[in-house]
Amino acid sequence: MSCKVTSLSAIACLSFATSALPAENAASLPPPPAPPKNFIVPDQGKLLLTAGFNEADGAGGGGLVPFALITGYGSNESYGANVHYTHAGLRDFDFKSYGVGFGLFDRVELTIARQDFEATATALDGVSVSQDIFGLKVRVLGDAVYEQDTWMPQVAVGVQFKRHRGIEDAGPLVSVEQLGADDEDGTDFYIAATKVLLDQSLLLNFQLRYTKANQLGLLGFGGDREDGYSPEVGASVGYLLTRKIAVGAEYRGKPHNLGADDESAAWDAFVAWAPTRNISVVAAYLNIGSVLAPVTSVTSDQTGIYLSLQAGF
Amino acid sequence: MRTKTPIGALIAAALLALAGVAQAEATLYEQIGGEPVLRKTVEEFMIIMEKDDRINFAFGNTDITKFKQLLFEQLCNITGGPCAYTGRTMKESHEKLDVDNAMFNALAEDVYLAFDRAGVPYRLQNKVMAIFAPMQRDIVK
Repeated sequence: MSCKVTSLSAIACLSFATSALPAENAASLPPPPAPPKNFIVPDQGKLLLTAGFNEADGAGGGGLVPFALITGYGSNESYGANVHYTHAGLRDFDFKSYGVGFGLFDRVELTIARQDFEATATALDGVSVSQDIFGLKVRVLGDAVYEQDTWMPQVAVGVQFKRHRGIEDAGPLVSVEQLGADDEDGTDFYIAATKVLLDQSLLLNFQLRYTKANQLGLLGFGGDREDGYSPEVGASVGYLLTRKIAVGAEYRGKPHNLGADDESAAWDAFVAWAPTRNISVVAAYLNIGSVLAPVTSVTSDQTGIYLSLQAGF
Repeated sequence: MRTKTPIGALIAAALLALAGVAQAEATLYEQIGGEPVLRKTVEEFMIIMEKDDRINFAFGNTDITKFKQLLFEQLCNITGGPCAYTGRTMKESHEKLDVDNAMFNALAEDVYLAFDRAGVPYRLQNKVMAIFAPMQRDIVK
């Protein structure tokens, strides 16, 4: 393009030439101002799927085991929150969990959840138990996603305060203490380590939980067989199939404290889908082992379909 | 001649085996599809990024032609392709930009989308992102 210096066109020609200056000049200019930071509006700054889902006790995690990830899509300079509703229709029981979670500065997680567990068959048909869980989790080190050049996982510690709400529709049986539990209420402590191995498209999660909980606490804490804390292992493996879909499996060890129960570990195989940062769905095949077999005379594993919906930001 | 046949067969087999090994050890650059696919990825990234209000303002003073070449060189270089990266270090090129984690992740998301449009399988996208991810330390203030 040739520039003829005639009247006004010279100005237009000059400004065009300026904008086409080589990069060395452009690079020396200060960058344009970033939009002002707004700490009220959540930034939803995390990558898809990295908010996790809701573990049975309400914490950010898989379906059965908390992750070291902080729930919600807020980055380290923002916050996130979500609500969840989970239902598992098992052989002889219905399990529900619903609650709310907050993630602050990708550092602290606060969750409140309620669990309802109702017998839908056997001699216990119609009997239900319920508890509330207040969870606190703090990320202590590492980053599950960025640190792809080291084996260091993201590590978080957490505590869950569990308050039992009693037994309903069981006649004279109104407290889990009548089943042999030491306490109606209890506290779980855990440490979780989560690593995303991007090179392998894998998410690995390991958790160690100190707990007295019988069937998550739904049957109280401690019992006639064992009344102290025991360390229980939890683990999750997820394969990232697409940017929005992960498939995998989980394992959650549980103590066996009650003579009236024959509690064993739970596991699941899941598909998780996050179409946007505002909604996610988890479907799983769940097996929690047999429940109260000495009472119901049903020794079969309680298995069924687990569905969980999470909405938030 | 007869006695040489098995030797020839052995050599042929050995060559085939070597070819197999070479095949298995194709660089990430080759698995992705080399220069045309990475150039396409860069073009698609620019289109996506320009519409992305989370990060486009940070490219306001960028020489787009030069940036595209450098991004291609970097993608080619880190995936084991035959390119040298001629740009500044990540620390130098981002020190005046106020990049936070949300912006870093937004850009990563746009790169994923660009790879999608260029037809790169998600499994390979993650392998590239595994190399990019630790650069967060130098890029985010």
